[in-house]
This record gives sequence, structure tokens and C-alpha cells, in this order.
Amino acid sequence: MSEQAKASNITEQTAKGGVLLKLIAFSLSLGIVPISSYFLSEKYVWNGNSNYAAITAVLAANVVLVVYIIVSILEDRPPSPSASTDRKKNE
Amino acid sequence: MSEVCPAYAPFFGFAGVASSMIFSTVGAALGTSKAGIGIAGLGTFKPELIMKSLIPVVMSGIIAVYGLVVSVLIAGGLDPSKDYTLFAGFIHLGAGLACGFTGLAAGYAIGYVGDSCVRAYVYESKVFVSMVLILIFAEVLGLYGLIVALIMNTRATEARCS
Repeated sequence: MSEQAKASNITEQTAKGGVLLKLIAFSLSLGIVPISSYFLSEKYVWNGNSNYAAITAVLAANVVLVVYIIVSILEDRPPSPSASTDRKKNE
Repeated sequence: MSEVCPAYAPFFGFAGVASSMIFSTVGAALGTSKAGIGIAGLGTFKPELIMKSLIPVVMSGIIAVYGLVVSVLIAGGLDPSKDYTLFAGFIHLGAGLACGFTGLAAGYAIGYVGDSCVRAYVYESKVFVSMVLILIFAEVLGLYGLIVALIMNTRATEARCS
């Protein structure tokens, strides 16, 4: 494969799916979700019991992690048939 | 100030708050940086695998979140208007150190495992499942420290000054 085709292939694959957007969303949620769930659950759900609120925050952080793993696995699943047929047409 | 509630008791409480955050952040930084080296290496060969290869970095972030949660938890129990026994101070220090040092260990493990597994993932895609499994076992180390910190913290309010 020529250099130009390789470069365009890479940018095409990274541009698909908005990888940067997903990463920004997960970074923000990993920062915001646990600590907000701690304070909100302490105030509204557990009536001031801070230990249960800490457990809730840990569970929320792990939920974010599991969702990230699932999203990353699902992103890889469907191969791009349009890209491979384009490459075959160009060569 | 009585013997059970000396004036220097809050020093240990705040030392617990600080040590929980400091050491777990050091662990998370070790994990992120070491795994980032491998991810940068993978990125030059297969940029489409970057989302999957960032899993060690996310797990290192979770270690830092554990330290943050324990810090907030301990700091919430420190109140100048209430009795603060030396017993409670030692409990808070122990809880902070437990979470902090286990987070340091977990971050260290995540860094090394993430680096080498991500590099191997370039060549063999079946490494992914084993990488996630090993990373989960490494992160659970930090979770154990957090559980111990939580259990210790439940005892902190039981003692009284007189």
C-alpha cells in the first residue's frame, strides 16, 4: 500500500465513531459521576450515612469502567467493508 | 483537653485524609504513565485499537477515585464542634494509609501489566481478554484497601471524650 493510501486509511478509521468524543465523555464521567453520586446519595438516599454513600460512589465508578470496556469491545466488532472495497478499487 | 481527646488528635485525622489521596494518586500516576508508554507504541502500528488499549488508563483513574472517595469520607467525619478522640484520629490515619498504599500497589501492577499486555495486543488479539482479567485482579487490590478503610471508619464515631 502506498504511503498516501495508508495515511488516509488511518485517518478514516480514527475519524469514524468519534473516538475523541467518546474519550472526552468517559474522562468527564469518570471525574464527575463518583463524587457526585457520593454527595447526592449521602444527602438524598442514605440519610447522612457516609459509609453507604462511599460504597455507592465506588459502585458508580466501577459501572463507568464496565461501560467503557463494553463500548470499546463493541467499537471493534463490525469491520468496515466500505473501506476494504475502496482500497480494492484504488489498487 | 483531656487525655483521651488531646489537642493534637486531629493531626492524625488529617494525615489520614492526605495520605489516602497522595499515595493512591501516586499509584494511579505510575499506572497511567507506564501503560501510556505501551499505548504510544501500539498507536504507531494500529491506531484503531486505541480505544481498547486505553483500558489500563481508565483503571488507573479508578484507583485515584478510590483514594478520593476515602479522603472525602474521612474528611466528612472531622468536625471541630464535636468530640474528636485520639482513638478516632488513629482510625482515620489507618484508614487513609490502608487505602493509599493499596492504591499505590494496584497502580504499580496496572502500569506494568497494561504496558506489556498492550504491546502484545498488537500481534495477538486474544491477549485482550487475559489483559482485562489481570487488570481486574490488580484493581481489586485497591478495592480491598478501600473496604478496610470503610470498615475502620465505621468505628471512628463510637468513642467519647470523658
